[in-house]
Amino acid sequence: MNRAFWGLVKKEFIQIFRDINMIRLIFAIPVIQLLLFGYVVNLEVKKIRLDVYDFNQSSYSRELIRASQVGDYFNIATGKLPIFRLEENFQRSKSDMALIIPHQLSEKLIKKEKVTIGLLADGSDANSTAIGTGYLVLIVQKFINHFYHFKNPLNIKFNVLYNPEAKSVYFMIPGIVAILLTMLTVMLTSMAIVREKEGGTLEQLLVTPISSTTLLLGKIFPFAVLGMIEMIITLVLGILWFGIPFVGSPMLLVGLSALYLLTTLGMGLFLSTVTSTQQQAMFFAWFFSIFALMTSGFFTPIANMPQWMQYITYINPMRYFMVIVRGIMMKGAGFYDLLPQIYPLIIFGAVIFSFSVLRFHERAG
Amino acid sequence: MYKIRFIALKELYHILRDARSLTIAIIMPIMMTFLYGYAVNLDVNNIVISVVDYDQSFESHELIDRFYESTYFSKPQTPVNATNPKEILRTSDANAVLIVKPGFGKAVSEIRRGEKKLKPFSLGMIIDGSDNNLSAAVQNYSNFLVNEYVQSLLPPEVKVPGINISREILYNPDLKSANFFVPGLVAIVLLMISALLTSITIAREKETGTMEQLLTAPVSSFQILLGKIIPYIFLALLDGVLVLMFAKILFDVPFVGSKLLLLGFGMIYVATALSIGILISSLVKTQQVAMMFAITATVLPSVMLSGFIFAIRNMPVFLQLLSVIIPAKYFIVIIRGILLKGAGFKILALQGIYLIILMAILIFIAAKNFKTRVD
Repeated sequence: MNRAFWGLVKKEFIQIFRDINMIRLIFAIPVIQLLLFGYVVNLEVKKIRLDVYDFNQSSYSRELIRASQVGDYFNIATGKLPIFRLEENFQRSKSDMALIIPHQLSEKLIKKEKVTIGLLADGSDANSTAIGTGYLVLIVQKFINHFYHFKNPLNIKFNVLYNPEAKSVYFMIPGIVAILLTMLTVMLTSMAIVREKEGGTLEQLLVTPISSTTLLLGKIFPFAVLGMIEMIITLVLGILWFGIPFVGSPMLLVGLSALYLLTTLGMGLFLSTVTSTQQQAMFFAWFFSIFALMTSGFFTPIANMPQWMQYITYINPMRYFMVIVRGIMMKGAGFYDLLPQIYPLIIFGAVIFSFSVLRFHERAG
Repeated sequence: MYKIRFIALKELYHILRDARSLTIAIIMPIMMTFLYGYAVNLDVNNIVISVVDYDQSFESHELIDRFYESTYFSKPQTPVNATNPKEILRTSDANAVLIVKPGFGKAVSEIRRGEKKLKPFSLGMIIDGSDNNLSAAVQNYSNFLVNEYVQSLLPPEVKVPGINISREILYNPDLKSANFFVPGLVAIVLLMISALLTSITIAREKETGTMEQLLTAPVSSFQILLGKIIPYIFLALLDGVLVLMFAKILFDVPFVGSKLLLLGFGMIYVATALSIGILISSLVKTQQVAMMFAITATVLPSVMLSGFIFAIRNMPVFLQLLSVIIPAKYFIVIIRGILLKGAGFKILALQGIYLIILMAILIFIAAKNFKTRVD
């Protein structure tokens, strides 16, 4: 068993690394993903392009514009903007919001009368529009309080826990670990097995005196190792480059990742039993990955989804692993804190893995 | 010309014979529309917050009611057992805990009476900062609600007149996320089918050795390429139409502009994406590598750097520069312009020109690479 197993593992590694492009990809993938997710994923709404049409041109209106510039929320274009270009700029996606200050602003402010200013927004990006208009309302509120020397007697002191600098990188990188581990292992395992089918070499392997269980384990093991390597590269880069904190126990993370791999490798194996070409396997694995990614809570909190969608997320193993990785890295969660996530993963792993192995035996036998 | 047709027919048979792949190629865009529409909810509404009220006065209840009656916040669904705010945040599903300190009721009645010298009073709130978008929204909304509460308390003689903001939201007045995602999704799906599938189909001929057979046939490599990609142009366009149809049925996403204009720009975009697929296939030998290449070098950057979800203006400068070579970036401006804003040809022409320039460069590199490989 042992010699045959290690022989197979060696064969598989030779096959993986024979292709120079594969080696490049193995290092490039975590780097590209980290750079993209680390720098790009930023749902913070900032630098909203705001065109200001100032018909008042007084020190008051300029004061209001200056107030809107504080805090990097708005990227303001002002000066001589022709008003007839207002909508064209939206259609060209050159601006996101437009503020129209009426000419009687200063006069009415002095007379202590109510004055109306106009705010137009390109609503296509619903989230930015909602938050952006919210900012502007707060800014105007502050401006008016300041103008009439009114001190707000009530305020809130905020205390942000777990991620006090409010960096999305800290939130995203643990998520990338979960994604990489899932996509890579499911896709590569299923394609590697189907490749032997497609090339006809699976039959050759089956007639050798290796048991089909050994064969399977030998084929799967290298991808488990590869997944772990990718995970470690991602984590090390994330810690060194982005300075993300790692509060919890690394050993616990490795252990639970191994548990999770049971599910993803089982899934890859399962897909290989229902497909006959690499293209199909890739397609099915891609399909599964997108479903898993979208319902895992990676981009948006599961609590924000409609109730029936939240029920669907329970059948997604990645959902539990996402909580585990984020919990260990950011909050220092321990084994007992994560038990509600660990139980489902054990069940998923045991069911999917044993089902797939049985199916593979059936097919192979 | 008839030679190209034969290659195209051969490729079409390949596609049709493989019913499982075809099914996925058709179901995938539908599933993505479904998931992006329902699972990705960027609207930060109904954020779960919990309250620890040490004051227990009429006024504190009034404020708490204001929080829960707004669309921004909702009550925790699981019972809250802990009494310590930090403990509540750790153990319940609440994203934030509002703390009303004792003396709140007294402070509020002073404001109500319009007293001249008010001592400022601070409420407390602890927030789970793991999701920083949510955390920013919680702070924004809470500040807004408290400010509004103060304004409602002030007696008329103290009240400041204030500025009224007349808001008008164009193109997507109900602020539906689906209207934002769907046009971008068409761009991503078109790219996925074109770049991923063509790169794999050509790599497959190489891997199984049938590429040599094709090359010994009396057709030029250019004809082989063209023949192989034609079926995928139709498959890609079919998928694009499916996304738009399902978006209309499920989420009522509008289609304001000209369909013909969209088709025209769509063809240019698909041709650009196909050239990427050909370029990849000329660089790799196996399907596995082609797949990984296509995903990490094209699909992922297109999702991340095109403005599909994340605003390009918020990225660091080097990524903003990199986004210039992402075709999806231009097509997303085009398709959002046509679908939501009814933009016409003149307004979008510049984006089209960028796409054509990109396509020309890609085809040039790909054709050059492909020929040298074949020799």
